[in-house]
Amino acid sequence: MSLTVSRRAVLAGAAALPLLRVPGARAASPGTLTFGLSSYPPSVLPWANTGTAAATVKLMIYRGLTGFAPDGSLRAELAESWAPEGTAAWVFKLRDAMFQNGEKVTSADVKWTIEQVVGEKSTAYLRSQMQAIEKVETPDDKTVRFVMKEPAATLPLLFANFHMPMIWRGSDAKSPVGAGPFVIKAQERGVSIDLEASDKYYKPGLPRLKAIRAIAYADENLRVAALQAGDVDLIEYVPWQSMEAISGDSRLALDAVDGPYMYLVFNAGKPPFNDARVRKAVAHAVKRDEVVKAAFFGRGSGLAHLPIPKASEFFNPAYENAWQFDAVLARKLLVDAGHPNGFTCSFLSTAQYGMHKDSAEIVQQNLAAIGIKAELNLPDWATRVTIGNKGQYDLAMMGDAADSNDPDGIAKAIDGSLSSSYTRSFGLKSDKISALIKAGRAEFDLAKRKAIYQELEALVIEEAPIVGLAWRSQGYAMQKRVTGFKNLPGALTFYAGTTFEDAAVG
Amino acid sequence: MFGYALTRIAVALGLIWAVVTLVFLIIHFVPGDPAELLLSQGGVAPDPAAVTELREKLGLDRPILAQYVSHIGGLLKGDLGSSLLDDHSVAEEIALRLPRTLELIFAASLIAVLFGLPLGTLAALRSGSAIDRVLAGVAGLGLSIPVFVVGTVAILVFAQKLHWVPAGGFVPFSRDPLQHLILLLMPASAIAVGLGAVVFRMTRSSVLEVLQRDYVRAAHAKGLRPSRIVLHHVLRNALIPVVTVLALHMGSLLGGTVLVEFVFNWPGLSGYLVRAVEQRDYPEVVGIVLVISIAFVLINLAVDLLYAVIDPRVRHG
Repeated sequence: MSLTVSRRAVLAGAAALPLLRVPGARAASPGTLTFGLSSYPPSVLPWANTGTAAATVKLMIYRGLTGFAPDGSLRAELAESWAPEGTAAWVFKLRDAMFQNGEKVTSADVKWTIEQVVGEKSTAYLRSQMQAIEKVETPDDKTVRFVMKEPAATLPLLFANFHMPMIWRGSDAKSPVGAGPFVIKAQERGVSIDLEASDKYYKPGLPRLKAIRAIAYADENLRVAALQAGDVDLIEYVPWQSMEAISGDSRLALDAVDGPYMYLVFNAGKPPFNDARVRKAVAHAVKRDEVVKAAFFGRGSGLAHLPIPKASEFFNPAYENAWQFDAVLARKLLVDAGHPNGFTCSFLSTAQYGMHKDSAEIVQQNLAAIGIKAELNLPDWATRVTIGNKGQYDLAMMGDAADSNDPDGIAKAIDGSLSSSYTRSFGLKSDKISALIKAGRAEFDLAKRKAIYQELEALVIEEAPIVGLAWRSQGYAMQKRVTGFKNLPGALTFYAGTTFEDAAVG
Repeated sequence: MFGYALTRIAVALGLIWAVVTLVFLIIHFVPGDPAELLLSQGGVAPDPAAVTELREKLGLDRPILAQYVSHIGGLLKGDLGSSLLDDHSVAEEIALRLPRTLELIFAASLIAVLFGLPLGTLAALRSGSAIDRVLAGVAGLGLSIPVFVVGTVAILVFAQKLHWVPAGGFVPFSRDPLQHLILLLMPASAIAVGLGAVVFRMTRSSVLEVLQRDYVRAAHAKGLRPSRIVLHHVLRNALIPVVTVLALHMGSLLGGTVLVEFVFNWPGLSGYLVRAVEQRDYPEVVGIVLVISIAFVLINLAVDLLYAVIDPRVRHG
């Protein structure tokens, strides 16, 4: 038996190969933008925090009383204006806007929304913050008056949060009706979400797109490959290792900002990290440029102070390098704290996310140089969260983004008066820090607020309730034919989804 | 024979129950609370009151035995429960995703057989020749390269550089049959590389063995055409071990296509299992493992039946 294939047949077959070329996965209909999400949102319920991918989709379908403009400033959304009444209340005036079902946005909808968020059975992300509202008054359809239990200068900021959109009061719990620029048309669970422009959106001429097709690409390499192959127009969470290649590609554009940050938390409920000198020794032992280089491929920058971004009006350059690398000072602080020969401690991180693991390995080496032997524990993320919440560690790696560029947005990382959480140091209560956070939140005068936060930062630098390591570069990448989409500065990077209303694909 | 079949079914059911119980216990005893995780998305601090509230709502505050009894009771009634994450029916989700994974596995097996079987036979017939050595080398390479490397290289070459196919993804067959098949081609081929090498090797060694048998010599002595000898006398007898190995691999691929599904964004059962374990979504994990266990048992049963079809001696003895 013989197998014979003629040379001519082989050549003919080879010549036909390019003809197999098929169009990409994207539906190439004009005005439709294909967006590569980093994961499929578990849900897009308005007030729950189900991750940043969900938040991006939420910014397509919902709007709050306020929002963030592309330059990061607070702007009007469903409310056209707002003003405090002394420090006891806030009054918001609503604009003429409609929900996606054609119903008018009224003060009754705002009141109903707040009631759902603070309700007894609520698991809303901003429930405790909204509980600062004593009562919601609705003098007329266009006016909402929030009477506060305690002064809150940050209330308009909270209403800009993507976990605080306003919902039509007649909504069914499982199908909330929002007032955003796009409406969900179809969902393929675990795969994609199809959205189309809402004709009820209150901004004239917006959205510019007819539709968005959001496809989940959990694998970051595939997400980049899909962009490079032309399957998608835009992707979020650009992996750091791909940023250079994308920047060098003439067809693509990268929009990255330093936004989220990596930091260390401590178990201050027991020695040795119950001593501020030891925590400060750690702060001065870390070579932050090595963390940025190894964990983030040089995409980001060192963070040697409280994580208030440069984009914030509260950023204070005087403290920019307050925790800078200084091995001599670090060793002296250890000696002063009674650890001349160093010590051994457990160091919690996770193997599930490379940035957590790589950052921890660099810190481990840096600490070894001053005599601290940190033994790494690298469980999966779920285990890491549980261990962190229970305080079963000495030292732990953490990554997060502030809620906004306002210093109050990092209270969740440093306010020990809040309940125990893996996001802040375990058992570390500082009455002074908590009092300053509260004072900052209650102060309506900008200059006075700045002074309070400067005092707070000085205290944090000394007490080191957390230790900043690095700002992470957070990037979106897109085909150059995409216009109008923009990353937002600093901690607001995850609000870039707001600009889908301005986006167009040529 | 009937008694033997009953015993086998009983053993299979016992095995499935043991697997489900084991998985239920393991997933409950490893650290990581779904309520806590659910409220900790994006690195936020969960409110303890909200966690308690959610645990009550999800029934996680009940004793583990009560949760187990209620879960097994549900399974016996055909109810796989709902996702803790989004309250979606586990059965519906599996019904949606299982066919996608099966499709991937069957497509990969088809490609593997299409290449592995004839090339394995050719290599055996030309044993010791240059063709045999080259094919053996290629098969060795196919076996040793990890599937994610094959997948990544395929994406780089065919999607990123040549732009012949999309990088990955999924489109339902009902929406766009051609696009569906195009998207299926790369992940199925990536799996088929290793699987095809296994089929090739098994076919080659099996055919070589059968070629030494007396009845093959007798067929040659009778003057039968070589192609008839290979097709009717050699391959028919050489196929049994090939089918066995292929079926066992197909079974293991049910839970083992994780990397391929991940690399090519194919939303099948394996990726669903990984997400469920990560989120400690107990009903989902137990439901998926149950389905995979049953499928594995059924595949083995199918193999036994296929033996009987291929080899009459099995049927009669």
